[in-house]
Amino acid sequence: MSIKFKNVTKSFGDTCVVDDLSLEIDDGEFVVLLGPSGCGKTTTLRMLAGLETVTGGDIFIGDERINDVPTQHRDLAMVFQSYALYPHMTIAENIAYPLRVRKLDKDERARRVKDVAAMLEIESLLDRKPRQLSGGERQRVALARAIVREPRAYLMDEPLSNLDARLRVQMRGELKRLQHQLGTTTIYVTHDQAEAMTLASRVAVMKRGRLQQFDTALNIYNHPANRFVAEFVGSPSMNFVDGKIDGGVFICESIRIPVARENTDQITIGIRPEHIRVFNEPQNETIAATVYVTELMGNETFVFLSVGKNRLIARAPAEFRADVESPVWLGIVADKAHFFDTQTGLSI
Amino acid sequence: MSRALRYLLLVLSLVAALAPVYWMFTISLKSEVDQFASPPAWFGFTPTLEHYYDAFVTRSFGEYLITSAVVAVGSTLCALVLGTFAAYALARFRLPYDLDRRVSLWILSTRMFPAIVTAVPLFLMMRDLRLLNTKAALIIVYTAFNLPFVVWMMRGFFDEVPRDLEEAALVDGDSRMGALFRVVLPLVAPGLAATAVFCLIVSWNEFLFALVLTQTDASMTLPVGIAGRVTQYEIKWGVMSAAGAVAIVPILVFAMAMQKYLVRGLSMGAVKG
Repeated sequence: MSIKFKNVTKSFGDTCVVDDLSLEIDDGEFVVLLGPSGCGKTTTLRMLAGLETVTGGDIFIGDERINDVPTQHRDLAMVFQSYALYPHMTIAENIAYPLRVRKLDKDERARRVKDVAAMLEIESLLDRKPRQLSGGERQRVALARAIVREPRAYLMDEPLSNLDARLRVQMRGELKRLQHQLGTTTIYVTHDQAEAMTLASRVAVMKRGRLQQFDTALNIYNHPANRFVAEFVGSPSMNFVDGKIDGGVFICESIRIPVARENTDQITIGIRPEHIRVFNEPQNETIAATVYVTELMGNETFVFLSVGKNRLIARAPAEFRADVESPVWLGIVADKAHFFDTQTGLSI
Repeated sequence: MSRALRYLLLVLSLVAALAPVYWMFTISLKSEVDQFASPPAWFGFTPTLEHYYDAFVTRSFGEYLITSAVVAVGSTLCALVLGTFAAYALARFRLPYDLDRRVSLWILSTRMFPAIVTAVPLFLMMRDLRLLNTKAALIIVYTAFNLPFVVWMMRGFFDEVPRDLEEAALVDGDSRMGALFRVVLPLVAPGLAATAVFCLIVSWNEFLFALVLTQTDASMTLPVGIAGRVTQYEIKWGVMSAAGAVAIVPILVFAMAMQKYLVRGLSMGAVKG
């Protein structure tokens, strides 16, 4: 089902947690709410689930305004960060719970539980209790409990954050496949930009309760609406340098970058680490820099650089080597640069 | 060495705790001559059941026992039902003006004055309600006295249950009540058991209000009945001990049956999954 937030506001006392949020999510979309902790993304999800009241504005599922519909009648399924499995029930009973409260008969319940257990490969766990399961297994059970019926949408609140790195990547892929199979609208909350990029059909980036940008992952990466989005999405983070443009050249201390822009006294340039090339020898139109430190990643090398008072990060090939404090030369891919208003942070 | 010392202390405290019980038990089995033997006969005496016969067949201790049981079980159930709902509400809902905290403290404050202060008012109230000499009077009073305890104890247990679980139940389509009964209560069952044992013991042993509010054989509880054998002319040690020995049994059995839960219930945090 499609979901619509219309000028939604949430305050706890005097603190405004979600500020005038408008968001239209199409049927079958996988939307990720992305932002640092305290940005209001979980509160947004909880308002949709009915676990928090809405201070102002309206929330719609399909054409139905659901502000005053109690949680249990919203027909949504949610996966909690803590998984929230019922500790006193077996896995089968856990998965069957949404069916049990809907008074499905026993045979139908058993059949549906078996189907969904097969889908998530947890058939062998059905008679166990949650505490006997590993984190990854619990995660699967929580998912199974969500998909055992056909809700209007799935809500997921950082479902992978309690898993170790390897498992997280694996489950990420499975989640994406699962959503593709089921085709149900999914809203997924995370602070991990990698999860957002890989899973989402569209990403909503939030900061301090305000929506910053709502677009496809690719557009968010390539055309960030402001400095915050540019910095938050991408790892390592985008480099920012404050300077001016004079005669088609961006200038900050020794940094000179040719740009096709009008003169201005104050502008911030943003350059992704992959758009800085690092050389051990001076080349045509390169900028002298000093190596602060290098980090070997195996498949590539992150080079942390000092250029005057500026600190930059560059992505270099795996075989790039340079000692700490050694001189290097930077080539900047100027046509990939982003520009931001230094004061407002908005993309210009 | 320290191990030996530990055992020594254990044995000493056990003896201190059990000696009076043992003494009461032997008195209940001794003829009156043996009861007053000097030096006291700890072991060698001819047991007799005459005092038990006297207490439960000739006199009305059987009736007192039933009254005690009805009152204790009745008030425990009332206090548990009312207190559990109150505790759940206080644990889960934030009320405006800090009311949830104030109400909690107010409930607790009802335990801060000595119970005897309320004896006369309660007597007058029960008289006007024509409830003197009824089991209902005792059930009402014991429920009132156990409620604050139930509320505070159960609130602690509810606080231990992660909110996520109920929220998950709600999203899964269950009602508040359904979530409470199907998810939360099973998780706090050990706490419920521990609380029940406590209420039962308090009600079972209660003496003051039972004495004030009941005088007839039909409404008297065991503690009052036993104390009543201390008269101007004689003290019926045998009958009192026999009744006392019987009075211990139900609580002992119940506590043992609940022991499994008691340990879990009294150690907080046990309910987390």
